[in-house]
Amino acid sequence: MSAAAIAGAARAQSGGLRRFASQEALLALAVIGLAVIVGFVNPRFLATRNLSDLLLGNAYIAVAAIGMSMVIISGNIDISVGALIGVLATISGSLAVAGAPILVTWLAPLILGVAVMAAQGAVVAYLRIPAIVLTLGMLSILKGGLISVTGGKWITDLPQNFHLADLAVLDVPMPVVIMVLATALAAFWMRYSASGRAIYATGGNAEAARLCGVNPQRTVVMVFALHGFFAGIATLVYATQLRVIQSTTPPGLELTVITASVVGGVSILGGVGTVVGSTLAAILIAEITSALVFVNVSPYWTDALRGGLILATVIADILRRQRRAARGWSK
Amino acid sequence: MTLAAEARARGIPWWLKRHETVLAIILMIALIGLGASNERFLTLDNLLNQGRLMTEIGLIALPMTFVIITGGIDLSVGAVVGLCAIMLGYSWKNIGLPLPVAIAFAFAVGGFAGFVNGLVITRIKVPPLIMTIATLALYRGLAEGISQAHSVRGYPEWFYVLGQGDVLGVPTQLVVLVILVVVAGVALDRTTFGRTLYAIGANETAARFSALPVDRVKLIVYTLSGLASGLAAIVLVSRVTTTRMDMGMGYELDVIAAVVLGGASIFGGSGTIWGTAIGLAMIQLLKNGLALTGVKGDATIVVIGVALILSVLIASSLQRRRD
Amino acid sequence: MSAPPYTDLASDPTAPLLEVRDIEKTFPGVRALSGVSFEVRAGEVHALLGENGAGKSTLIKIISGVYEPDGGSILIGGRETRFTSPEDAKRAGVATIYQELLLFPELTVAENIFLGHAPRAGMGRIDWRAMRARAEALLDSLEIDDLAANQVVGALSVGNRQRVEILRALSHDARILIMDEPTAALTESDVTRLFDIVRRLRARGVGIVYISHRLDEIFAIGDRVTVLRDGAYVGARNVADTNASELVQMMVGRRIDNLFPKTVVPIGAPVLEARNIVRHPMTKGVSLSVCAGEIVGLAGLVGSGRSELAQTLFGITPAESGEIRLMGQGVTIRSAESARAKGIAYVPEDRGVQGLVRPMSVLHNFSLAALGALSRAGFIDRDAERRMAEEGIQRFRVKTSSIDEIVGRLSGGNQQKIVLGKWLANNPKLLILDEPTRGIDVGAKSEIHRLMSELAGVGVAILMISSELPEVLGMSDRVLVMREGRLVAEFDRAHATSEAVGAAMMGEASSMERAA
Repeated sequence: MSAAAIAGAARAQSGGLRRFASQEALLALAVIGLAVIVGFVNPRFLATRNLSDLLLGNAYIAVAAIGMSMVIISGNIDISVGALIGVLATISGSLAVAGAPILVTWLAPLILGVAVMAAQGAVVAYLRIPAIVLTLGMLSILKGGLISVTGGKWITDLPQNFHLADLAVLDVPMPVVIMVLATALAAFWMRYSASGRAIYATGGNAEAARLCGVNPQRTVVMVFALHGFFAGIATLVYATQLRVIQSTTPPGLELTVITASVVGGVSILGGVGTVVGSTLAAILIAEITSALVFVNVSPYWTDALRGGLILATVIADILRRQRRAARGWSK
Repeated sequence: MTLAAEARARGIPWWLKRHETVLAIILMIALIGLGASNERFLTLDNLLNQGRLMTEIGLIALPMTFVIITGGIDLSVGAVVGLCAIMLGYSWKNIGLPLPVAIAFAFAVGGFAGFVNGLVITRIKVPPLIMTIATLALYRGLAEGISQAHSVRGYPEWFYVLGQGDVLGVPTQLVVLVILVVVAGVALDRTTFGRTLYAIGANETAARFSALPVDRVKLIVYTLSGLASGLAAIVLVSRVTTTRMDMGMGYELDVIAAVVLGGASIFGGSGTIWGTAIGLAMIQLLKNGLALTGVKGDATIVVIGVALILSVLIASSLQRRRD
Repeated sequence: MSAPPYTDLASDPTAPLLEVRDIEKTFPGVRALSGVSFEVRAGEVHALLGENGAGKSTLIKIISGVYEPDGGSILIGGRETRFTSPEDAKRAGVATIYQELLLFPELTVAENIFLGHAPRAGMGRIDWRAMRARAEALLDSLEIDDLAANQVVGALSVGNRQRVEILRALSHDARILIMDEPTAALTESDVTRLFDIVRRLRARGVGIVYISHRLDEIFAIGDRVTVLRDGAYVGARNVADTNASELVQMMVGRRIDNLFPKTVVPIGAPVLEARNIVRHPMTKGVSLSVCAGEIVGLAGLVGSGRSELAQTLFGITPAESGEIRLMGQGVTIRSAESARAKGIAYVPEDRGVQGLVRPMSVLHNFSLAALGALSRAGFIDRDAERRMAEEGIQRFRVKTSSIDEIVGRLSGGNQQKIVLGKWLANNPKLLILDEPTRGIDVGAKSEIHRLMSELAGVGVAILMISSELPEVLGMSDRVLVMREGRLVAEFDRAHATSEAVGAAMMGEASSMERAA
């Protein structure tokens, strides 16, 4: 390769890396920066106990956001994931209390999650039902179904070995391990595998993708199935930390997960974003929520802040796309 | 609209082929069926009461029909109801506004919330789905933040006339709803505004090129959606006598189900207020029927969800057969 | 079945890479190609020249497998084949580079090149190293050293993106490369680099079909040139043996038949006076005027900015600067609504997407632009509406079973009449027509021309955008020519000949040199 080419490659490497890293770097900076500022105002924020609670308690959101990011990147959306996690948690807990082998209680959410979501993906891909309407209906079916079957009963007396989240790997708590591992594996897969890239192609321009040999329908079903898988893992991280499983849907969970994806750089129009970004954003959002308490702002403002965040991010994203379209891209 | 045109073209009486007629017939059958299986059902008392209960959803379903006809959607309606309810209570109790002023204020907040939706959708061109999911989060959050989870009670007696009173034996809010249904239906069928909505939904580009005020009309429908949510909030508070921050949760499901069940295509370009009204009645019927057979409240949303998905599936397969 | 008409050209005896013979293609109501033959040899750049609507893009789509011909044959390397899909053509070695680049902004150069056929390394995983290596090899083979295989495409310039598209075509081992107006959006240095690449590919034996309306490019890079006109083959020449005027003459010269009842009408006061209209990016300072009773024809090639100008005058994309006067009064037109209110009507180019709401009835389409006039206090007067539609279909002789018929079911000509009728219901003072007779049958064409003359007769000012020179020359009192966003020529009726107008459209003087 000529010297010019090598120089070009080096520039491109840093250029390419720079593009990919900008959103993530910004988020990482924000996470650290916020911690510093809040710690300044109220040093108790930086107590190890608080930070570790923060991470542990919200790791499941980051995991769920991995699947959600994939769905949004592929050009779709899902608002049923919160209800699904509630249902899966209840099923898992009930199985544990009923004495099923622990492995079964852990695998059940994964398998069921995949099944339910893959079915939705198939309906969206092949029957052309808009994802928003389908998942809106599904949300109600899951939510209502859960309450009417269980009556909102609490599941107590969970067997000791149910609590996967209590385990640790090399002194690192399991939820964090799972979050980091899941993010890393998913990021790697999306960046380097053919099916992973197919998600970006489908979300970017489904017709052009088809002309290049990508099958958009199959990609959509796959994406939803993966989303269900990560929802299952998120359920494990979430449910196995609880001593009591309330048979309800964690309120507003799907909104938080969507916010994490969008703030993490996933464009709501599809084709753009990374799971590393959504994980960092999930951490940031959890941090903001906790920070509000430590600076004496009522926690009831959390949701407003979350809403404002998602609105601002979406508007910024659309404006950025328009500026890019003006430069000659068709979309 | 297509069916009616086809029917007229073939000489069949137009009202026979419209899908509203089919829906109305299904509704009749369901009414009779339910009445037969449960003696408490077909009493005037019960029916009027159902009418009272369905008003909040019904009010919002009217502009939602407009929105869906233009090919858009508004998921923030439930959150706007919550926000307006909170604003009503907050401005009356905490700020001390006289109640009529507080009511007007709550109503205006609703309109403003819808206006913001419309503005961003038309000016910045954020897709309606995304925008209203974002405002769903924001408005609900604002309701929580402003209320700090405190409920407001103790409204004066006269306020409850709207939600709990009767006019000549008919629940007050139902009268309001019926009047608005007629107004909305006539507007959609017979005015240039209504025609513009259909054009936008069927082919927005051609609508613009025909010099129709597309952006202005869209802005209006989203604002109306907000206003209807505000009105629904006022009716709701008046009916249940308290203000809580979780009011309106899940309304978007019922409203959209009513509109889609009523025959509007989720992709835009078709639908009528009369269809929505029938869809609304069917949903209320479903809820009532389930309640009468002892099914608890929460399970009804399962049925609504199923009804929504089924009606979209059926509409989509009929459309494909027609193509 | 005539013998291939290019045997008179200097040729080499081996079979061409690709050959099409006597291709016929008809779309509902339009005969796009008839009796067209074309061939590409290895190591040649064969230019395809013709006006808009001459059939170039239909021919290309047939060669790249998007359409199947209704008649005629396709031969690859001398053997007759059929392309039932773009994949068939791709497999036969045909690659097309369209004007609208189909790239994915979030993926890298290498990924875009190899999307769908990346080298695999067992178990479906992509062999990233192999892919990058092959991408770099492709880059090297064309000596492109300012692009790297893992650069993200979104940030690249248009020139670079086009190079990525070319590499993508090459990655499929394309032996026949079709380039559709490749220099439309390029800078001069990019054009030079493009020619460089084309020469390299030619040296390698690739056969290149080069579609362009820029004669200077064809003389710079082409070996042979084939001219199409009105869907028919006109002739082919070796570039070295011909010159610009001959080519222009082949492209636009034809008998002007007496299809158009042009009646001479007294020309009144100016209705529209536009001065220095600017609108990013396509309108770069245009001044023109149209008088009452006058028909001004606006000629130009695709991309010259005529529709953009019309849409600016009509308020869809309002002018950023410049003056507009209507009937002598200065006005600002900031929206289509205000344009209509001031008496301007615009019949758009794309009647299916812009002109009509296809799922709606004839009745509702007819009234769509005149709802204000048909209503009182917002309520549409349904009887008046029906009357207007009934009168309309009578006056314009629209063939439809009833006014409740769905407009999408009517023929092109009838649809066009409805679009025209809908705007005439407003009694406009200025009527802008954008390709009013494109894609419709001769009978309907003639009726529309008659209508135009009638309207001019009652004092309507008409600005007619058209790519059909006979129509422009036959109907216009004055002919304006636009190129690249500016008005470059004006002819009055006496001096408007097809050669002169055609030359102004192409934009070059009579001397053309072929570059080395």
